[in-house]
Amino acid sequence: MSERRAILEVVGVNKSFGGLKAVQDFNLTIREGDLQGLIGPNGAGKTTCFNLLTGVYTPDTGEVRVSGHRVEGARPWRIARLGVARTFQNIRLFGALSVLDNARLGCHLRVGHSFAGMVLRSVLHRSEERAIRDRAMDLLGVLGLADRAHEEAKSLPYGDQRKLEIARALATEPRVLLLDEPAAGMNPQEKVELRGLIHRIRERFKVAILLIEHDMGVVMNLCEHITVLNFGQTIAAGSPGVVQNDPRVIEAYLGTE
Amino acid sequence: MLEKFLQTLMDGLAVGSLYALIALGYTMVYGILKFINFAHSDIFVLGAWLSYSMAIMAGLSMQSAVPVAPWIFAALGAVTVLAAVMQAWDRAGYDRVPAAWRGRLPTPGLGGTLTIVSLWGWSSVGLAFAARMIATGAAESSAWRTVAGGVILLAAMSTCGLIGFCVERTAYKPLRKAPRLNVLITAIGVSLLLQNLGQLDWMFGTRPQGMPRLLPDVTLAQFAGSETVPPVKLHLIDVVGAGTAVVLMVALDILVFRTKLGRAMRAVSYNDRNAALMGIPVDKVISFTFVLGAALAAAAGFLYAQKYPGLGQTASATWVLLGLKAFIAAVVGGIGNIRGAMLGGLLIGSAEMFARAYQSPSVADIYVFGILIVVLLFKPTGILGTNAQEKV
Amino acid sequence: MSDLRHRAASLSPGFVPTAVLSILPVAAVLGIAMLAQLWLAPVLANAGADFFIKMGVDILVAMVLAISLTMVNGFTGQFSIGHAAFMAVGAYTAACIVYYGSYRFYGNANVQGGLVSSMVYGVRDVPWFAWADALFLGALLAGGLVAAGCGYLVGLPSLRLKGDYLAIVTLGFGEIVRVLVQSQTTEVLAEGASVTPDHLRMIPAWGSTLAVDDYITAEAIASAPVWVWPKYVGGALGFGGLPFYTSPFWVVLVAGLTLLVAFRIKSSSYGRAFLSIREDEIASEAMGVNVTAYKVRAFVVAAFFAGIAGGLFAHTVGVQLNPAELGFQKSFDIIIMVVLGGLGSISGAAIAAVIVTILPELLRTPDLLAASWPYGLGGVVLGAGLIGVLRSGGRSTTLGRAVLFAGLLVAGLGLLALWAKGSEVDLGRYRMVFFALALIAMMILRPQGLLGVGEIWDRSFWADLVARRSKGGVS
Repeated sequence: MSERRAILEVVGVNKSFGGLKAVQDFNLTIREGDLQGLIGPNGAGKTTCFNLLTGVYTPDTGEVRVSGHRVEGARPWRIARLGVARTFQNIRLFGALSVLDNARLGCHLRVGHSFAGMVLRSVLHRSEERAIRDRAMDLLGVLGLADRAHEEAKSLPYGDQRKLEIARALATEPRVLLLDEPAAGMNPQEKVELRGLIHRIRERFKVAILLIEHDMGVVMNLCEHITVLNFGQTIAAGSPGVVQNDPRVIEAYLGTE
Repeated sequence: MLEKFLQTLMDGLAVGSLYALIALGYTMVYGILKFINFAHSDIFVLGAWLSYSMAIMAGLSMQSAVPVAPWIFAALGAVTVLAAVMQAWDRAGYDRVPAAWRGRLPTPGLGGTLTIVSLWGWSSVGLAFAARMIATGAAESSAWRTVAGGVILLAAMSTCGLIGFCVERTAYKPLRKAPRLNVLITAIGVSLLLQNLGQLDWMFGTRPQGMPRLLPDVTLAQFAGSETVPPVKLHLIDVVGAGTAVVLMVALDILVFRTKLGRAMRAVSYNDRNAALMGIPVDKVISFTFVLGAALAAAAGFLYAQKYPGLGQTASATWVLLGLKAFIAAVVGGIGNIRGAMLGGLLIGSAEMFARAYQSPSVADIYVFGILIVVLLFKPTGILGTNAQEKV
Repeated sequence: MSDLRHRAASLSPGFVPTAVLSILPVAAVLGIAMLAQLWLAPVLANAGADFFIKMGVDILVAMVLAISLTMVNGFTGQFSIGHAAFMAVGAYTAACIVYYGSYRFYGNANVQGGLVSSMVYGVRDVPWFAWADALFLGALLAGGLVAAGCGYLVGLPSLRLKGDYLAIVTLGFGEIVRVLVQSQTTEVLAEGASVTPDHLRMIPAWGSTLAVDDYITAEAIASAPVWVWPKYVGGALGFGGLPFYTSPFWVVLVAGLTLLVAFRIKSSSYGRAFLSIREDEIASEAMGVNVTAYKVRAFVVAAFFAGIAGGLFAHTVGVQLNPAELGFQKSFDIIIMVVLGGLGSISGAAIAAVIVTILPELLRTPDLLAASWPYGLGGVVLGAGLIGVLRSGGRSTTLGRAVLFAGLLVAGLGLLALWAKGSEVDLGRYRMVFFALALIAMMILRPQGLLGVGEIWDRSFWADLVARRSKGGVS
């Protein structure tokens, strides 16, 4: 079998805030179809890594490549257009917009008609608006939000808000999807459903997934490859079995005796 | 040329210290509540006009003394009666009504605030009367005129402090958790309200008035100069103005950086929720900040009226422009930063005066706004400001 | 090729139906504008109701301003408080072109237009559309474009500045524009003469032979090269003597097109991108929206329409173009409209523009207002009835409450006017006091404004009106 193509490559990235070294020498490669996890105790630098990958922060040193393009220092919207989509740990939906509009917004970066074409209501504008609506409804269907399409996003229950964030991210037609603690605040039943959902998304949308998770159960059962961070340093990386038995991981999570 | 330079510099510092006084109010409120209190400059205008009204009332102008408008007594009386009623309600009434009704009735707690407001109002009126007594006691002596002026300054500061308190409690406090845009719009609303209330016939009216001089027009010192070049003059009013401003600013600096109350203010400014958890009475600290800022603005209004006695109507563009410049001073110095406000005030005042003297009065404002835009573009948080980044 | 493009290709509608849908509303606006000019205005003028024509023009100009500001403050959530500056830029640009253009082409600054800009109704011996109308239209567009250029410049700082700081920059820009115009020479009028071509000054353009201080005549304007730009714009005393081109036709046309463009933006993918910036800039950028470019774009589009509104304002009957009138007080007026209507609501801004323009006039002429209190009481009764009828689950409906509130307001204002008439208090002076109080009360009691982000043409808006109010929230 030929080597699957790398979508996202991170080589030796460092980032510090003042004197705090938030992320040191971070390496990661995500290939087509991957389902990887990024774990670590609180304050280990997981979300900082996401922010470095998506352009919210610029790395001090190191390389980030998306499908071969160097993207360090690129604005987040440019990285999103290259096919990296994300969700947020503290949900960031467009609260006053409807659920459908949130999903439709995700499609915006793929539209081909111009602003002038929109004002003049061009043929392309009309067809793309219809396609956007179709796509958005499909995505809401996949995530089980179709019957709530016309409600305000902020009126959704917490779990549905997380799902809507995923729908919105998928609407951007990403090649790799970054999920920041998707299971946070969910009960065990919902977590089981979430696992199924993530598998389905990967199959259906042919998208690689990297997820940050606190809940060891979710990550160990779901991910094929796990990177463990502690104090900004990568202390272990490999399959769940390997990581689980790594003494440094156990130390980071449980402390030394 | 040196004379012109020195004279301009002195004018700039004199005006700049007044800008700094106003800017302090903007900056303190921004530091604590993170919003631009657009109504602040109107408090400054009210300060100037109240000083004028009190000076007229005290008989310090050429006109004879005029009585205090009866509606002030009526309003204060009404507040006092209401305060007494609410006190009784808080202490005895609320507990006696059936529990089922209580949801629809005012909860206890308003009595104390209203009592403060009424006592405060009466004491401001009392101060104004004290100024009148001093003035009538020694009508012709310029020293006593100045003393009466000092009392008027205190009365104006006290009244404006009260206005600041009422504005904060009624307009801003209900919006403590609202989006910042809403608070900003409310501030614009309060600003429009104060401006247009001040223009009504039973307030200050729409005609411009001349502030009586409470300080003798003395030139303290004059130096340099020759037969062709006018000498550099040091006027008493500039020295007193800048001196009062400096004293107030030093007092404020000590208050904020050396006292427990100042520590509480800084704590609230840093993080109000955590400050509340530490037992700091956040609401009181915020009210105090408004009162302090309003009192400083009133002082600036008084001093400004002494330097430039022609007072235009409260909504006139001149006032608004003055307030804007003070606000720009706060932004240029780094809004939220008290020492920055002082620095910014002096900078803007000097820039304006130099542009006036060396180019033309009409373009001075362009320089001021130009400085603002340049500073914002290259250091958006101002010269002494610190940067805060939103957490993702 | 993305999935979206694939689907769009398979859904593509025909060219003909699209063209019809695209052009039909524009044609409708044009038709309504003609109708207003050729039927409504003459009817009103014949009935002696010139006041209503003037009122309508003011309202529609205010509407264009409010809707354009909605695109910045409402859609993208950027807080601009210098909108009047764009209006001023457009007004002065258009005024210069029309005024000096008229001198160049006709030798005087009188209205030379056809029926579309005629304010003398019933006259039929002029063409529908004269070359002078083209001059006016061109001046409006030029004013809009220059204002849009300024909008670009003001939008650029939004690269770096957020929220309050951007607001300050827009305020500073507005003041700079005002001060710049105000500091222009007023010498000509100070001599006591009205502006005549003999007193016109021109700035010599690069390579021209005119000296700065040359006073030149109408003939000189006509023979001067096109790139020589007149210097005299009236300074602090105002730019007098402009021809009054702003007829019902032009204001209805511009207001209609503004409304149409705003509607099309809001109901499109681009509109959602604007709104997403307002809701959450970081999330918006993470979803691929080039936030900076969109903010600048919002500023440019808004400034364009504000500039055109300025051009209309400059050529309105009875208006002396004056920089003092286009300061931040004017900006605040526009903000009041946008906020009262609901930040982000086009129809809300339009309705608020009507209210904010009419109310001061009503307060100035209390007779009409005083007569309105019985209607207000009727509204109260109707509102109470609606609450009773539509009440479900123990909670009243928004519609009932709105009618009740409006009734109370009208009744209250009517009784107030009645009292003011009796005791000879001039309510007109209290106009701004009322607005200020309304603004503060609105922010505390209904911070989202009259309509929130809703639009009167949304089905959900009407559904919400009669739906049971959920606890705590308002529609």
